[in-house]
Amino acid sequence: MPSAISSVHLGKTYPKARPGAFALEDLSLEIPTGRVYGLIGRNGAGKTTFIRIAATQLAATRGTVFVLGHDIRTEERAIRAQIACVPQESRPLYFLNVEEVVYTYLKLRGLDGREARRRTKDALEELSLAQYSRSLVSRLSGGLRRRTLCAMVLASDADVLFLDEPTTGLDPIARREVWQAIRRASRENRTILLTTHYLDEAEALSSRLALIESGRLMLEGTPADLRARVRYPYRVTIEGSFPREELDSYGKVSEIEGGFLLFTREPEARDVARRALERGLRVSMGPVSLEDIFLDVVGKSIEEDAASSEKEETATKAAA
Amino acid sequence: MSERNRLRSIFTLVLLNGLIPIRTTPLYIVNLLASPLSFLFFIYIVSHGTYVAYGITGGMVLTMLTVGTSLQSDLTHYRHDLKFQDIVVASPVEAPIYVAGMALSELVYSLPALGVFVVLFFAWGYASVVSLAVLAGVLVLVWAFASALAFTLATYFQDVRETFIFSPMISLLFTVLPPVYYPLSALPAWAQVASRISPTTYAASLVQGAVGLQPLSFSGAVLDWAVLIAFTVALFVIAAVKARWKEP
Repeated sequence: MPSAISSVHLGKTYPKARPGAFALEDLSLEIPTGRVYGLIGRNGAGKTTFIRIAATQLAATRGTVFVLGHDIRTEERAIRAQIACVPQESRPLYFLNVEEVVYTYLKLRGLDGREARRRTKDALEELSLAQYSRSLVSRLSGGLRRRTLCAMVLASDADVLFLDEPTTGLDPIARREVWQAIRRASRENRTILLTTHYLDEAEALSSRLALIESGRLMLEGTPADLRARVRYPYRVTIEGSFPREELDSYGKVSEIEGGFLLFTREPEARDVARRALERGLRVSMGPVSLEDIFLDVVGKSIEEDAASSEKEETATKAAA
Repeated sequence: MSERNRLRSIFTLVLLNGLIPIRTTPLYIVNLLASPLSFLFFIYIVSHGTYVAYGITGGMVLTMLTVGTSLQSDLTHYRHDLKFQDIVVASPVEAPIYVAGMALSELVYSLPALGVFVVLFFAWGYASVVSLAVLAGVLVLVWAFASALAFTLATYFQDVRETFIFSPMISLLFTVLPPVYYPLSALPAWAQVASRISPTTYAASLVQGAVGLQPLSFSGAVLDWAVLIAFTVALFVIAAVKARWKEP
């Protein structure tokens, strides 16, 4: 399947950043056409920087990105004709009503009045915004404003959609309505690059995911690929008392309210679950969630950073 | 983007940043009426009507400059607080179309103020084919360079509050210190030379000359037009080269 977005050794250092600091480092990604691709990572990991560079809003320092085969360095105009973006923390113009936000955006992109009106109506209905169509944005809740922006880009004729935390502030029902609209867009062979802090959302929508930490790519693949690559792909929850030293031999253990959470491999998971059941304890077992993977990978990165900072500090003190 | 779609985008920007907000909050238009009419009233009272013609022509120039400072505030607010510029950048709309549409939308707010001044212009008997043509040309150029300057500055401001600092400074540098509301000869010699760095000095000279407030030779008029056009072109070139449509 051809890539809709392809980043090649992408690097970004912001002007006025401290020496040696970078927002992205050697990031190479292939984002397939017609799929939802999830970018996950901590705050400041570089997700928004990546989206802004690919959406031609921000200049890259090193490397490049190709969007639908066009290079961001030389073919911005060709790219911009085929993309749409909901930036992080963006808000619709507050003096417009919901319908006007979507309609004027489509007109701005060059759609004729009739087509713009049809698409606006469909998008508002799909995202359950029709009842608010004449409501001023300034009188809407934060979640409704965010949903209006999603309707705006989903109604567009763009082939590639950049959605930077599109569902922040939305209630669970509204989030699922946005998911439906995103899935429909994907079925129409549009490519969606999505960042989110809701890992259930990333997993529910994305055919592939990239986990970015400190501007670097840590993991990439389908949700199943990501699970296969972690040290402990199974999680076991045991309710009740179980000898801690025995659990420690199986994998990574943490105490939770009223029991233990164990990350381990599949045979060990089955074994420990059987032994817990024999003791009459309640057990649940399954593959690790995306959140578990995230915490494992990012947690390790934080530990490594802390260790290297401590090492540097000790070396500085010793030198002094 | 085809020419037709470019025009459609410009009209849409006029609609969404001009006509719709005015429909929602008509008081917006009073904002652009207030300053020039206050100046005119002040000049009328102080000069016992003698300098009222300067108040009328200066008021029109100030109105066009205020379009620029309002544009600067709106562009900065939309860029930082709403991320609207980012939404537009990631679309087929090009920077010149965005600036043209937004600048025209700000012009919509100024139309009532311009209307009042045009009525006064006729009422005081300054209207002639030549004076109206000169006035129209000058006002278009002032609007154009003020918009280009506003766009460039707005792409550098880090916060909308910075526009609160710059807007009064721009008004001061372009309409109070240069002889927009009074004749150039009223300034001391050194100030007359200093005022030559402001494009509004040439705009005012042309308008004041066209309505007969100040003598203006043919060669003087040609020079004023040339400098005013050169300023405008220079500010457009600076906007094209230095404005940050895409962030570095």
